[in-house]
Amino acid sequence: MFDEIKKRYLEMFESEKLPYVKCNKCGYVFYYPRDYCPKCGSKDLAVLESKGVGKVFSYTKFVNKDGKEVIYGIVELNEGFRMYTNFLDEVDIGDEVVVKYTIKDGRKIPIFSKNKPKKE
Amino acid sequence: MIVGFASSIYKKYEGSTFQLLAETVSKAMEMANMELKQIDGLFYTYLPGTIEGKASLHFPSFQIPTFLGIKPRIIDSVDYGGPSALTMVYRAEKLISAGEIENALCIVGGKASFLRENRVTVDSVDRFFGNVSLTPFDEFYRIYEDINPVTDYALVAKRHSKLFGTTDEQRALLAVMQRKNAMGNNKALYRTPLTVKDVLSSRVVSDPLRLLEIVYPVDGFHVFVVSKHHSKSDLRPIKIEFYNEAHWNEMPTELQDIVYTPAIESSKGAKINGVDAFELYDSFTITVMLQIEDIGLVEKGRAGKFVEDNDLTYQGNVPINTGGGSLNVGQPAYMSGGVILEEALLQLNNMAYNHQVKGANRILVNGIGGWNRGHSVTMVLRGE
Repeated sequence: MFDEIKKRYLEMFESEKLPYVKCNKCGYVFYYPRDYCPKCGSKDLAVLESKGVGKVFSYTKFVNKDGKEVIYGIVELNEGFRMYTNFLDEVDIGDEVVVKYTIKDGRKIPIFSKNKPKKE
Repeated sequence: MIVGFASSIYKKYEGSTFQLLAETVSKAMEMANMELKQIDGLFYTYLPGTIEGKASLHFPSFQIPTFLGIKPRIIDSVDYGGPSALTMVYRAEKLISAGEIENALCIVGGKASFLRENRVTVDSVDRFFGNVSLTPFDEFYRIYEDINPVTDYALVAKRHSKLFGTTDEQRALLAVMQRKNAMGNNKALYRTPLTVKDVLSSRVVSDPLRLLEIVYPVDGFHVFVVSKHHSKSDLRPIKIEFYNEAHWNEMPTELQDIVYTPAIESSKGAKINGVDAFELYDSFTITVMLQIEDIGLVEKGRAGKFVEDNDLTYQGNVPINTGGGSLNVGQPAYMSGGVILEEALLQLNNMAYNHQVKGANRILVNGIGGWNRGHSVTMVLRGE
């Protein structure tokens, strides 16, 4: 079950969808995949797609080994769950951010930015 | 009863990690006035990359006793990093009072220089050795660029400032007061005077945390000898008046907020009135601030003001980290538990010379650690 949820997450990343888990019993939402609800223990869970919009919960800036400034932090999605991420641009706590996708080790991963996607 | 203790700390120890351990063990045994053949209980903790630069040790439970030449009847490891030293001493006491063992050796430390020189820490050891997991969710968690644990604590410091108005100056002031304590401690690596301006002008490692707010990982061990028999030791009998541990299994993102630590839970029931000194785990300045709040010295969010309003030096009204803490002694093998416990024992035995709290009789020691602040141990030690 854990493996299935993980696989579903990775597939959703590839199609640029941000997954999260919702407990059908108590309604708790969480990001890091488990096959039980960490609040109530229920195994009745649903993998859902987040709208990918949230607010910066906290952030920090550092300079990496290559001399590049990196922004790392936690985002709280509007659905109510939080996840660690990098931010693509300067942010402050409380700023609205949206999910984007970047390639890491040959696969797509979610990352956040203040810039809204351009309407096509 | 703790009948002996010792530490050996070097910025870089050139010899083998086992040799450094053996050196520390003999000093502790000497203080205990005991021989190794009397040891029948062994407690240890171990972090990846800190012994002989190996990613992992296969069965430390064999390697440590075989190198030291001891034949314990009971071997136990405690593996939640920083606070492990406190737990080892407590469990040794429990097994002694249960009649299972008579003399226990508790070991914490290793060499940090190998990982340090390879520009990683224990919390990012996976980026150096590969094939090491940090969480069961690494495919979703370890895909971002960070410099944990510094970035993780930086997120906490940043949010603490946002929520409560804590300033960089307040955290710097804490570092300055700890340095004042270190100036009289011959075990401290850093003993030159420090000002708030010095701290604020040191390099920002991960904002808002600056270099002088972050422990320096060093090589070293702490060894504590716990025994049923006290008669041969010159140390004062010391009682564990209070002990409690708390373990939070949440990813920090799933906590109510990241500005809380499990010290809230582990310190429940500890009487802080009449405590003569507090030895609080100081991996970072913010770590101490969080514990000042979470053990109940002041309400949540007020640690910055508390630091401004109180004298935290060994001669002050609320002595905290009386030997300068790990920020000044260094952090052996990425764990500060031994540093704070040893300082408490020095204080209680009136052995702290130029940083002695006058008449110290009750000391609260709080360890925070393991992965991302998930574990806290609170201990109150009292002289008999």
